[in-house]
Amino acid sequence: MKFTSELVDDLAAKLLIGLSKEENQMVLDEFNIIDENLSKVENIENIKNVTPMTHCLDDFTFTLRGDETTESITVEDALRNCKKTEGREVEVPKVVGGDN
Amino acid sequence: MNQTIEELHELLKEKKITSQELVQESLKKSHEVQEKYNAFVTILDEAKATEITDNPLSGIPFGIKDNYSTKDILSTGSSNTLKDYIPIFTATAVEKLLNAGAIPVNKTVLDEFGMGGTGTSGHTGIVLNPWDPTRMCAGSSAGSACAVASGVYPYALGSDTGDSIRKPAAYCGIVGYKPTYGMISRYGVFPFASSLDHCGVLTRSVADAAIVVDNMKGIDPQDMTSWDSKDLHLYEHVKDDVKGLHCCYIKELCNIESYPNPTEELKSHLENFKNKLELCKELGIEIEEVSVDSALLEALPSVYVAISCAEATSNMSNLTGLIFGPRGEGNNVFEMMMNHRTHGFSPLIKRRFVIGSYILQKENQERYFKNAQRVRRLLVDTWKKLFETYDAVILPVGTGPAKHLDGDKDILSHDTEVLEEHLQIGNFGGFPSITLPDGFINNLPVALNITGNCYNDETVLKIAYALESKMNYKNQIAKEGK
Amino acid sequence: MGKYKAVIGLEMHCELKSNSKVFSSARNSYNEVPNDNITYLDLALPGTLPVVNKKCVHDALMMSMALNCTQPEYMYFDRKNYYYPDLPKGYQITQMDAPVGINGFVEIECKGEKKKIYIHDIHLEEDAASLDHFYDTTNIDYNRGGVPLLELVTEPCINSPEEAVAFLETMRSIYKYCDVSEADTKKGQIRCDVNVSIMDNDATELGTKVEMKNINSFSNVYDAICYEIKRQSELKEQGRYDEVEQETRRFDEETGTTIRMRSKADALDYKYFVDPNLPKFKIDPEWLEEIRNEIPLLANQRKEKYIKEQGLSDYDAGVIVKEREYAEYFENCIALGIETKTAANWLTTQILGFINKEEISLKDFYLTPTLLKQIIDEIDKGTLSTKLAKEVFYKALEEKKEPKNFISQENAQISDKNELETLINQILEENTHQVEEYKKGKTNLFDFFVGQVMKNTRGKANPVLTKEILKEKLEK
Repeated sequence: MKFTSELVDDLAAKLLIGLSKEENQMVLDEFNIIDENLSKVENIENIKNVTPMTHCLDDFTFTLRGDETTESITVEDALRNCKKTEGREVEVPKVVGGDN
Repeated sequence: MNQTIEELHELLKEKKITSQELVQESLKKSHEVQEKYNAFVTILDEAKATEITDNPLSGIPFGIKDNYSTKDILSTGSSNTLKDYIPIFTATAVEKLLNAGAIPVNKTVLDEFGMGGTGTSGHTGIVLNPWDPTRMCAGSSAGSACAVASGVYPYALGSDTGDSIRKPAAYCGIVGYKPTYGMISRYGVFPFASSLDHCGVLTRSVADAAIVVDNMKGIDPQDMTSWDSKDLHLYEHVKDDVKGLHCCYIKELCNIESYPNPTEELKSHLENFKNKLELCKELGIEIEEVSVDSALLEALPSVYVAISCAEATSNMSNLTGLIFGPRGEGNNVFEMMMNHRTHGFSPLIKRRFVIGSYILQKENQERYFKNAQRVRRLLVDTWKKLFETYDAVILPVGTGPAKHLDGDKDILSHDTEVLEEHLQIGNFGGFPSITLPDGFINNLPVALNITGNCYNDETVLKIAYALESKMNYKNQIAKEGK
Repeated sequence: MGKYKAVIGLEMHCELKSNSKVFSSARNSYNEVPNDNITYLDLALPGTLPVVNKKCVHDALMMSMALNCTQPEYMYFDRKNYYYPDLPKGYQITQMDAPVGINGFVEIECKGEKKKIYIHDIHLEEDAASLDHFYDTTNIDYNRGGVPLLELVTEPCINSPEEAVAFLETMRSIYKYCDVSEADTKKGQIRCDVNVSIMDNDATELGTKVEMKNINSFSNVYDAICYEIKRQSELKEQGRYDEVEQETRRFDEETGTTIRMRSKADALDYKYFVDPNLPKFKIDPEWLEEIRNEIPLLANQRKEKYIKEQGLSDYDAGVIVKEREYAEYFENCIALGIETKTAANWLTTQILGFINKEEISLKDFYLTPTLLKQIIDEIDKGTLSTKLAKEVFYKALEEKKEPKNFISQENAQISDKNELETLINQILEENTHQVEEYKKGKTNLFDFFVGQVMKNTRGKANPVLTKEILKEKLEK
């Protein structure tokens, strides 16, 4: 079986999510069903020639936004729901390690 | 509050009732329904009456699903990750209703961020079905469906990514309508899967659904996927004649022979559905049976899971507790984010995120994500092909009435029936789709669904209206043990 | 580099100029006050949606064409998913599938040699917020979040640090000529990722690629490349090339070295996918043509033109095309009929000297070509000496008054022969001793007499005429 609980835990960790044993097992069970169902898809004739549908509607025209500005939201509003602030900013413990 | 918008507006105009009375009654019922069925996250006891204008929504209370951002009002998405979130802006669709003079009286419970079909995964607990509290409302717009069915107000807002308006409407014996994708702005609605998310409404009559969506729709400069629908007048055309229209139903889904071991419920449900097709014919609508590639249909549930989970895992990456929501504990910022997410999300959606993430991995994208998107197109093209011949596709909703709460349909199982999931095609293609009650099985409501081609909302609504008029379920209020 | 050949690829991020951000309508301008240029989307508040700024698309397409790239039929965006505190959405909106430009090239000149640098792709994306680090906390300022960025990726076809810098300079010039960016490294508007590998001169297979992230000045790019080539070469020399790992390093400005950040194995899977919130936008070929016509002549094209058509020296032409304003000033002078060489001289010496000293932009320079012409015309007429012309030049700048105000009878050059003769006779009489010395052979006293004349006329004596008369009188 290509799905293992280690794989599931690793995926979860990369999403910054911890899983319990039960949750891990449920993902494994579901994986197998999805995998089985989507393997059938591979057998659909000419499937590779179909353009993946990335948007719900791709038949309507629209305009891009003009380069106009709106006033900044107030710092009170911006930080209203933030649990730890310093001055006008969001505060977090010191971020160390390489960024992206 | 047991009346439709049309009726209430008349009464308000004639000053037989006041907006204030409606608000008071609605709030009182909200508390009762909360007590009995747990339908709300917040009840807005401070709600104030508004002036009665020519707008049919003026002065009338309504409910808002708690995944719509409402300024200065707690908006949780029924998730612990946002259990204390007070937005600083209001969703466009809500703003439009406020401008129409509509009065929000509560925020309704949903499955966490709309990611569920049972009404059981909200952070404030399970929503019970007002026809039978041992059963589910379905989801994710569970609170909205429960409240409208209970007569708290004539309508409540919903959102629909797979069937989240149309399934709970069916289980609660009311009308659920999601218009064409982009007709109502998604700005301010907490996203689940952006390419599938629709806004819509739950009402007790088709005409009311038309009235509400007329007031919610419109192009929004804040949502690039919205479009200009000023030439569509839903309510104005809802009573138009349907004679000469063509509709079809799908053999693979509707014929009892397609199911090896059908339950009695399923048998009655499909038989009832076929009877309603006869009503359509009486209305002058031609009905035909069509056949669709069953391989595509069988792939449907997995395609939905693949696309919706993938988009969801990305859409909900902003939930880290740094800028809003409760801060997680931890020695560094990454531990804090992880703690917030691990404890904030329910097990169901954590599982979906992991699945979505796996599907999006570079080495898996082709096999899972892109193939799912390809089948999505094939299914949509199949339906579009049908719409070249037919004005709408009519299908039964689900396999019968509301399920018992002790079963859980959110875990995909080998025997998942396509009949339970087919409404998702409406989301794949952005099609206008409406569910309306079409009968009772064991004293519980069942429903059918009408889906048309994009932008043909007027046609879908007038078929629904005509059919509704031929049945006795318009504006029904839920009664336990009817 | 001796026996090894360096293979270098660059990724250059450049902030675009616009009123509002690329996907939100908050201001795109540098702001000292934290969180003062933000809107709901910049905080990734639930329910917010991105909306594409037309100007940014326009400018990105312009750069795509300026770099000879191919443009896609449809414009759309992808999400690059990762968690970091400077990225509130948890993903960056960028372009992966259909970048605004692919397969382009740009010509550079390095050590007198011309070379084509091939562009893999150029894409439009958004910047991240900025983190202010303190002793044990970090503060997040979202002003920069969502600022439009153009990221350009070269093919690994650069072979020396000099070429790398020449390429970056050329790119900066193109951005500025097209007026899509201030391209100011001091303001952090340009940041580079550099990858370097080495291989034997005669080898065909590429060596192990080492990437250095987020280098913020061209001189640091130069130093980082030099250091990496040296480090890798030394390891290879010592037979320890297997210690060169496919990894990400950062350049440490203080020590001039590069330091390991993470190995390739730890590289994140960004799980790119098409952003469903931003519909596919068909790029109208007519619009594309319009934009193409807006692309100005670029520096290298103008330089060639100035040398060929105006007869400028390579050096002068090089100085003039350094900035678009210089070139335009020069061209305006020519259009007014100022002689090419004269215009070039004034621009490259007096004018650039002045604006550099005053640290102002040529745009804010008071003497427009029309005003400069007032001075040059008088020189041509012989009314003004070069020295006086300079005085008028500075006087006009100082008082911000047209030069003609300072070209009066009073300060006009004395070119009247009789007047000068009278004056010179008087000077010679007053300095009989020096006249005798001169006649005895101390001819270097000639300058002394010129000096005296100038002193007496406060520099207004026509120098040519003065020398003529002096010679005539002294040789007599």
